[in-house]
Amino acid sequence: MQPTAVPSNDGSDIALLPGQVSGVFTTARPTFGAAVDDFLNRRPVYEQPLEFPHNIHVGKEIACEVCHEGVDKGPKAGIPGLRTCMICHEAIATDRPRIQQITAMRDKGLDLAWQRVYGFSNDDHVRFNHAPHIRNKVECATCHGNVGEQTIAQRNVEHTMGFCVNCHNERKASIDCLTCHF
Amino acid sequence: MARWGMAADLDRCNGCGACVVACHSENNISTVGDEQASRGRAKHWIRVERYWEGDFPDVRLKFRPVMCQQCDNAPCEPVCPTYASHHTEDGLNAQVYNRCIGTRYCANACPYNARFFDFFNPSWDKPLQLQLNPDVSLREVGVMEKCTFCVQRIRGAQLQARTEDRALRDGEIQPACVQGCAAKALVFGDLEDPESHVSRLARSPRGSKLLEDVGTQPAVTYLARATQV
Repeated sequence: MQPTAVPSNDGSDIALLPGQVSGVFTTARPTFGAAVDDFLNRRPVYEQPLEFPHNIHVGKEIACEVCHEGVDKGPKAGIPGLRTCMICHEAIATDRPRIQQITAMRDKGLDLAWQRVYGFSNDDHVRFNHAPHIRNKVECATCHGNVGEQTIAQRNVEHTMGFCVNCHNERKASIDCLTCHF
Repeated sequence: MARWGMAADLDRCNGCGACVVACHSENNISTVGDEQASRGRAKHWIRVERYWEGDFPDVRLKFRPVMCQQCDNAPCEPVCPTYASHHTEDGLNAQVYNRCIGTRYCANACPYNARFFDFFNPSWDKPLQLQLNPDVSLREVGVMEKCTFCVQRIRGAQLQARTEDRALRDGEIQPACVQGCAAKALVFGDLEDPESHVSRLARSPRGSKLLEDVGTQPAVTYLARATQV
């Protein structure tokens, strides 16, 4: 979500942060409706620009980190852009309409606006880092479900604190608050 | 297990305030405007205190950078009803924003005025929101915040060292204030390691702790000014 601007009391524009309704006061959720949705675990439907078939790519035994290439290097796995797609699709499956569509987009210098499916809100005060999890051989599917059976990624594993801490306890990883919350 | 500490050499500090600026930008500390600041609602995780000694024209000016002293016997911890303020194994005085319900008992208990309450949601004049540090969360209205010794950098360096399968090197971790200090007045490191730079400075005969007699056992050592300017 892009920050929008509202006029503040002194007339200047204040940049709002994602999920923030006004520059002055919010509760933990921006609206009452958002709080209810959160309590009932209702998530918005993610409208992706293209129905990306995860199942076909995983079925061809392409490892996750081939496209989500930041995953073993730092905090963010990264959502690949068109340049990553075109590494293979310059030559592979060029007769399919969807591939021709993205090739045309690339030629025009455009990119796909993927919506993020997983992630923490600022109110969670969580700083997650992928790299140490990969290094300690946590399967991607542990936290992201069986993406190989999905087309566009669905959020079907809930990242609650209990979910994280159970695994940290089992693997004797740190459960110090300052491991994740800062 | 490390025990993090800092040393501030007052002989080197010239009061330039670079540490304050570095801290604000590293830790996404919002400003509240002059009106609210005059009501005591400004937030500075580190500040440079100024002391004048003597009468004009024989005035001497002394500076002292003051941040959270990360006390071993921290008065802010036992008063917190939600354990938002607590001690970590590596000697950090942690503040967990998720737990904080904003009683402000900790700020009352702190003898160093090192804790700050968020009276407002953070906001930045455009386009300053683009310079926010993604490694540090934004504290919303109603929680207490304070110097963390840049725990995001400590954790980052620890992860990096573990990735490269080696021990942390002395001086590898630099909180923003230490990094920003042009005069190298601030030194950060592990007090458990007797050979680290900060340990050697902490043992210096010039060393003293802030308000030592209240028994908070701070992790920050101030080295008294030896030269007379």
